[in-house]
Amino acid sequence: MAEKDHLEEHLEKFVENIRQLGIIVSDFQPSSQAGLNQKLNFIVTGLQDIDKCRQQLHDITVPLEVFEYIDQGRNPQLYTKECLERALAKNEQVKGKIDTMKKFKSLLIQELSKVFPEDMAKYRSIRGEDHPPS
Amino acid sequence: MKITNARHLGSVAEGMMENFTALFGAQADPPPPPTALGFGPGKPPPPPPPPPGGGPGTAPPPTAATAPPGTDKSGAGCGPFYLMRELPGSTELTGSTNLITHYNLEQAYNKFCGKKVKEKLSNFLPDLPGMIDLPGSHDNSSLRSLIEKPPILSSSFNPITGTMLAGFRLHTGPLPEQCRLMHIQPPKKKNKHKHKQSRTQDPVPPETPSDSDHKKKKKKKEEDPERKRKKKEKKKKKNRHSPDHPGMGSSQASSSSSLR
Repeated sequence: MAEKDHLEEHLEKFVENIRQLGIIVSDFQPSSQAGLNQKLNFIVTGLQDIDKCRQQLHDITVPLEVFEYIDQGRNPQLYTKECLERALAKNEQVKGKIDTMKKFKSLLIQELSKVFPEDMAKYRSIRGEDHPPS
Repeated sequence: MKITNARHLGSVAEGMMENFTALFGAQADPPPPPTALGFGPGKPPPPPPPPPGGGPGTAPPPTAATAPPGTDKSGAGCGPFYLMRELPGSTELTGSTNLITHYNLEQAYNKFCGKKVKEKLSNFLPDLPGMIDLPGSHDNSSLRSLIEKPPILSSSFNPITGTMLAGFRLHTGPLPEQCRLMHIQPPKKKNKHKHKQSRTQDPVPPETPSDSDHKKKKKKKEEDPERKRKKKEKKKKKNRHSPDHPGMGSSQASSSSSLR
């Protein structure tokens, strides 16, 4: 967490530096040359600091799909939201399948027991507790 | 008419018997030819069906059991029931459990799916200057292009020397119109922190008419009391629902927490 805060701090400083550079350049005066040179060197040191942070965060993985959202100018939290919604929907779908299969199994055993009572009794004795009598 | 109906019935019965033999293997007798039933010549009797390789479980006579029941793992042909195998081990975690609760993601779910998440990138990064809501393909700033064609870099970042800085001697005066647009930010609805920087950031050149400034000031004045009311309501709601996130610093807190 601390490394991420560190990186965020460096990035914010870097962006602010670039922004100020843009302001200087937008209406340049000869007296601003020193400031401009300083800002340019801050760019280099800023990039050095960001590069140092990179090594501490090498184990963090980011899904590529998030980049699609960012490239479209959309909030990346929408990706997280959609992932959670999809996970829940799939969870519900699978639960429905499991419940349906369980009901089918119990109905099937019930009906087969009516038609083949001896065989089903043998089957149940083999399965033991796995197949409680319906 | 009677003969044709009888023939139809005969063929139907024949089809049903074929299905029966397919279900229960080769042990069933082949169907009797229609002639034997007195329906007329009809079709020749079909050959007995081959024993099904992957057929469903059948009920062979109990004497066919050669191995103790329930111990057969390979499946085919042994045990009292055809293809009967041991059940797979039951796992505790299946789709029947609520996985969001299981992995303690309820708070995350409520945070992202309970509230309305704003669409734009500038809502996620409110302090970032520039027009960030534009697609990356417009100004060639997409992350995808960075991944597909990574820039060729040197091993280290070297400071710019004095002779190199000579190349950065600029002409005095304002920028041409084309370049000025890069500094303009989209109007922000939320002004939680009064950005003095944002005021200095918009270098309003003297060429722009003064009427637009008055209109902007008037709009700001009109919207301010409404904004304040809305902000207060939002703060109250946030303080009620999420005491961990205070209202004032929520934009920064949310941006930092999302990066975590």
